[in-house]
Amino acid sequence: MATYDFVFSSLGLDDWCAEGKSNAPMSMAQLLSKSKGEETTDVSIWELPFPSMDALNKACPAFPQSRELTKGLEEGFLAVKDGLSVVLDPVTQPLSWALDGALYAMLSAPWWIIIPILMAVVFLVSKSWKLVAFVALSFSGLAFIDYYEYAMQTLAIIFVCAFLCVLLGVPIGIAMSRSDNLQRGMIPILDMLQTLPPFVYLIPLIFLFSVTESKLYGIAIILYAIVPVVRLTNLGIRLVDKDVIEAADAFGMTARQKLYKVQIPLALPNIMAGVNQTIMMSLAMVVIASLVSAPGLGVLVLRGIRNLELGVGLVSGLGIVILAVILDRVTKASLARINAAQKQ
Amino acid sequence: MTKNVKISIKNLYKIFGPTPDVGLEYVRRGMDKAELLEKQNHVLGLRDINVDMQDGEITVIMGLSGSGKSTLIRHLNRLIEPTDGEIRIDGEDIMGYNEQQLRTLRRERMSMVFQKFALLPHKTVLENAGMAKNIRGYTTSDFEADARKWLARVGLEGNENQYPHELSGGMQQRVGIARALVSDAPIMLMDEAFSALDPLIRSDMQDLLLELQEELQKTIVFITHDLDEALKLADHLVILKDGEVVQQGDPQEILLNPGDPYIVDFISDINRARVLRVRSVMAQRDNGDTSFAGDISENDNLESVLLKSEGDMTLRFRVVRDGEHIGTLQMTDLARALVPTAASTERNKNAA
Repeated sequence: MATYDFVFSSLGLDDWCAEGKSNAPMSMAQLLSKSKGEETTDVSIWELPFPSMDALNKACPAFPQSRELTKGLEEGFLAVKDGLSVVLDPVTQPLSWALDGALYAMLSAPWWIIIPILMAVVFLVSKSWKLVAFVALSFSGLAFIDYYEYAMQTLAIIFVCAFLCVLLGVPIGIAMSRSDNLQRGMIPILDMLQTLPPFVYLIPLIFLFSVTESKLYGIAIILYAIVPVVRLTNLGIRLVDKDVIEAADAFGMTARQKLYKVQIPLALPNIMAGVNQTIMMSLAMVVIASLVSAPGLGVLVLRGIRNLELGVGLVSGLGIVILAVILDRVTKASLARINAAQKQ
Repeated sequence: MTKNVKISIKNLYKIFGPTPDVGLEYVRRGMDKAELLEKQNHVLGLRDINVDMQDGEITVIMGLSGSGKSTLIRHLNRLIEPTDGEIRIDGEDIMGYNEQQLRTLRRERMSMVFQKFALLPHKTVLENAGMAKNIRGYTTSDFEADARKWLARVGLEGNENQYPHELSGGMQQRVGIARALVSDAPIMLMDEAFSALDPLIRSDMQDLLLELQEELQKTIVFITHDLDEALKLADHLVILKDGEVVQQGDPQEILLNPGDPYIVDFISDINRARVLRVRSVMAQRDNGDTSFAGDISENDNLESVLLKSEGDMTLRFRVVRDGEHIGTLQMTDLARALVPTAASTERNKNAA
C-alpha cells in the first residue's frame, strides 16, 4: 500500500501496474526493507513524498524508477557509441597524430636545441630581452631539477591544442559575427562548454575513445579552451568602428576584402586577448586531463595526490605556475605590440 | 558656359521603419514627420527630394542635425537604399545597378570623405591614401607616386610613413582628402568633412578645397550644418529641413531673397558684407556716367568694397570682369544689400 495508489486506481491502470515489474537495479535501502519485510503504511501529511518516479513506482511496479532514467541514458549512449565512433574516429585521428608528433618532436630533440628555439620564439613575439631571460632561466631551472621532460610534454600538448583552438575558433567567431541567428544559437553552447565542470567532459569521451589514444585528452582540452577565442573574435569583429566599415563600403570593397583588410586587422587586439585566454585555459585543462593519460606535469600532480607525495605535488604545481606565467606574459606582450600599432 | 547635370535626384523618398511602403503612402497623402512618427512609428528620412548637381560644381547640402542631409548623401552611392525615387549619375539610373555595377561605381566614379576621417589605423598614411587603388587591385608600388603627389598637394609631404594616430585631426582629414583624390573619381562626396576640426583649421581646409577645385573641376557634394562654410564653398546651395528641400539655388540669391522664415532665421547671424559679392548687388552697365571712384571685380565681396570706399556712401565703382566693364556699383545699393532681413530684427528685439 503506497501513497500514490489512488492515482493509478482512479486512472483505471491497476491491471497495467500489476503486469509490470520494474527491472531497475535494486538499491540497498530497498533490499533492506525487503529483507525486513516492512510494509509501507499510510503516512501523515508531513511525510508526504513528492510524486517522484520512485514514489510512483512504489504504487505501481510498472512505472519506471528514476534509476532507469540514468540507466536508459547510459544504454542509449552505448547504443549510438559504435555508430558515432565510426564517424568520429577517422575525423579526430589527425589530432592524435598531431599530439603524438608534437610530443615526439619536443622530447627527441635535445634540450640545447629546444630551449634556444623557445627563446627565439619568445623574442620574435614579444621583442623583449627581459622576457627571453626569464624564459631561459625558468626552463633551465626546471631542467636542473629534472622536470624538463614533463614541462616539455605539457608545453607540446598546449601548443597543439591552442593552435587547433585558434584554427577552428576564429572562423567560428567570424561566422557568428556575420549572422545574428548563428550567434543566438552558439551562445548557449559556448555558455555550456564554459560552465560544465571540466571532469564532465571526460566521461563521454572515455566511452567514445580508448584511453590509450591521445586524442581523448586533446578533444577535452579543445572543447574547454576554444570558448574565449570564439567569443572574443565575434565580439572584436562586431566592435570594429562603424565609420571605417562605411568607408570600406563607400570605396567599393568586396565582403572578402572587408574581412581581410579591415575587420580582422581591427579586431586583432580582441582576437589576441581571446588567444591568451585560450592558452591559459588549455593549461588548466591539461592538468585535469592527466586523469585520462595526458602526459606532463599534471601526472606529477596526480602522483602527489594519489601517493601523498607532498614535495612532488608542490614542485610540479610550481612548474605549472611558471609555464602559466611564461605563456601569459608572452601572449600579453605581443598583444601590447598590436595595440600600440593601432591606437586610434 | 552650359554645364551638364552630373547627378540628378528625382522624387526621392526615404522612410525608416519596419514597413516603409505603408509609411510612404501616408507621406504621399501629406502626413508630416512628427505625425508619421507618432501614428505609424516610422521615421521620415527624406521627402520628395529633387536636386540636380552640375558637373564641376560644388553642391552644398545644408541643414541642422536630423534634417536628413547625411541620409541624402548616402543615397548617392547607395550606402542607404531609397524607399522610392530615382537617382541618375551621368544619365544612368543607378537604382537599376546590380552588385557588380554598384561596386564599379563606388570604386571608379565616386570617392568619399568622412566626418570622423575613417582611416585604417593599422596602415600608414601612404597606404591609406592609396586605399581606393588598393581595393581595385593595385599594389603599393603602382600607386605610390600618385599617392605621394596628392599627399604633397594637401600638405603632407614627409608624413607618408606615419600612422594616422600620430597625426592631428586636421592632418588626418588631409589624408582623407588625399585618399579621395588618389582614387581619380570624378565625383567627391564630403560628409561633414570639416565639422570635426577646429575653426582655424577648418578655414584652412576650405581654402585648400577651393584651391583644389579650381584646378580639378570635380563634382563635389558637400554636407555641412555650418552656413558660413556653405556660403563659402557652394556653387549651388540646397537647404534641407526635416527631410525636405526648403530652398535651393545660387547661395547669393538665397541670401538676398530667402524664401522661408526658417532660412531667414538661419542667415540672420552671418556677416552679410563678407558673404555677398559685387555681382549679386551691382546694377547693369550705365554708359551715361563715367566718373568712377575705382575698379572692382565682380567676385569681390562687399567688405572689400567698403574698405576701398573708406565709408564714403556717395561713391560709385566700375565692375570689371577680365578687364571688361560689365556693371556699376553704387555705394547706396551696397548699403541696402546689407540691411538685415525682417525676421532677424524681430528676433533681436525678442532677445533684447
